[in-house]
Amino acid sequence: MAESWVIETAALRKSYDGVEALRGLDLQVPAGSICGFLGRNGAGKTTTMKILLGMVHPTGGQARVLGLAAESPRDSVEIRRRTAFVGEEKDLYGTMTVEEIVRFTAAFFPRWRDDLQQRYLRKFELPLNRKIKALSRGMRTKLSLLLALCRGAELLLLDEPTSGLDPAMAEDVLQALVAQVANEAITVFFSSHQIAEVDQIADRVAIIDRGRAVVAGDLDELRERFCRVRIVFDGDAPRASFRAPGVERVQRDGRVLTILSSRGADAVVEEARALHPLSVDVDRVTLKEIFLESAAAEE
Amino acid sequence: MLWYKSWLDTRWRFLIGLALLLCSAAATVLTYPQLVKLLPLVPTNIQGPLGQRIRESAELMRSYPSFVWSNWFRQNLSEGATLFAVLLGTAGLLSHSGGALFTLSLPVSRRRLLGVRAAAGLAELFVLVLVPSLLIPLLSPAIGERYGAGAALIHSVCLFTAASVFFSLAFLLSTIYSDVWRPLLIALAFAIVLALVDQLLLRSPAQSLFGVMRGETYFRAGRLPWEGLVASAAVSAALFYGAVVNFARRDF
Repeated sequence: MAESWVIETAALRKSYDGVEALRGLDLQVPAGSICGFLGRNGAGKTTTMKILLGMVHPTGGQARVLGLAAESPRDSVEIRRRTAFVGEEKDLYGTMTVEEIVRFTAAFFPRWRDDLQQRYLRKFELPLNRKIKALSRGMRTKLSLLLALCRGAELLLLDEPTSGLDPAMAEDVLQALVAQVANEAITVFFSSHQIAEVDQIADRVAIIDRGRAVVAGDLDELRERFCRVRIVFDGDAPRASFRAPGVERVQRDGRVLTILSSRGADAVVEEARALHPLSVDVDRVTLKEIFLESAAAEE
Repeated sequence: MLWYKSWLDTRWRFLIGLALLLCSAAATVLTYPQLVKLLPLVPTNIQGPLGQRIRESAELMRSYPSFVWSNWFRQNLSEGATLFAVLLGTAGLLSHSGGALFTLSLPVSRRRLLGVRAAAGLAELFVLVLVPSLLIPLLSPAIGERYGAGAALIHSVCLFTAASVFFSLAFLLSTIYSDVWRPLLIALAFAIVLALVDQLLLRSPAQSLFGVMRGETYFRAGRLPWEGLVASAAVSAALFYGAVVNFARRDF
């Protein structure tokens, strides 16, 4: 496996009591990127993150984080020393106060950032003496992020980092992540159901469906590659099949054929012209459309 | 800091146990003069196993050290230590203490997580057994009696070593089941069944876990139950090893 990837999985598999959560996941995340990890509920996002951190044992395949084998207990400790994780539930120790858990967590990380701790305590307005069980979900989310951002980690693994936050605070968190990447040269791998968030801050995206990566790559490149070709005929659209590479979906609706291509429009347009249409238009597609089409294609 | 987390997870069980056992130890000492006064009223003409038990209990009350062993080490502390060994063994493991994923995201091996948790629990169990027992030699002069601190220490060690089997069993069960109740109930049920087997079938105190716990051979013959102590420690170690192996292969 190449060393340039901060996260790399190859044919990663995981079954729970015979149910396959991951079915040969191949994933690469380069250093210094912000990679959004998209997928429907149950697609395998959380399982992937847990495998990367050694919380779940894979059934097959390989997973490497920062060049270390996630399955090795010794390497896994080192991975967690250099990685920060925020789980979907933001489940912390209810009996500790905010101050206690900050002190507790800092003790495990030699590169703990006191300056960031002070900054985020102020920014998130966290009450130091309040028990965690008395915090709202939003407050717990902020505290979880503070505990992750201050670790001095090289990699942030965030499972739904903004869930439970109001839009203003979610925006603050996203900006904090972007600033952290810019200032500290770290890598962020985050899952989210908010495609707009991924669109806003990610430079890469990986879409997972039923345990397999269906789309992965640089976000700008994906936007270039994915397009919709709309072909209008003067009568009913023909039941044509397209041989051009990258045709993901062909939809026929009255006089219109709509084709989603993942490898640009040129070959599709050329093939479409042979059908003598009235018009051929090429549109860019949004990340949301890419996600919906990719997931739907697997149905 | 894992020690601190373990303390937070178990402190209430420990403190409640300590308070109850201290009260029980004090009551054992302070009620002795009243019980001695009632001795002449104990009937001695009852036949059968019940009469034998009554006569044995009355006989043990005639001497203060025998009374302390019978009431405290054989009865109150044995039962209390078993109960709190199970309670401490089931308290605060990852699966039900909250923050499980947060703990597992720390740069600490699972073996170390369990090791610290077990060491903290065993230390608390030892304090629960030792401190109330040492209260007895301290309080005894208040009623004009004496009880050796050495004997209290030896009985405490016997009790702790045997009770650690129940702690380790509860600990192992906590790595198997994700809820609080099943490990607790299974470990307590095991202790009750073992106590019944001990009462009904085993005649030699050296053969039984509760015999080792009571330090019966030391009380009656001045001999430490070495075989029982070593066997208890070995069983505890095996159960703890099972917990480590099970915990290492679990998914969270």
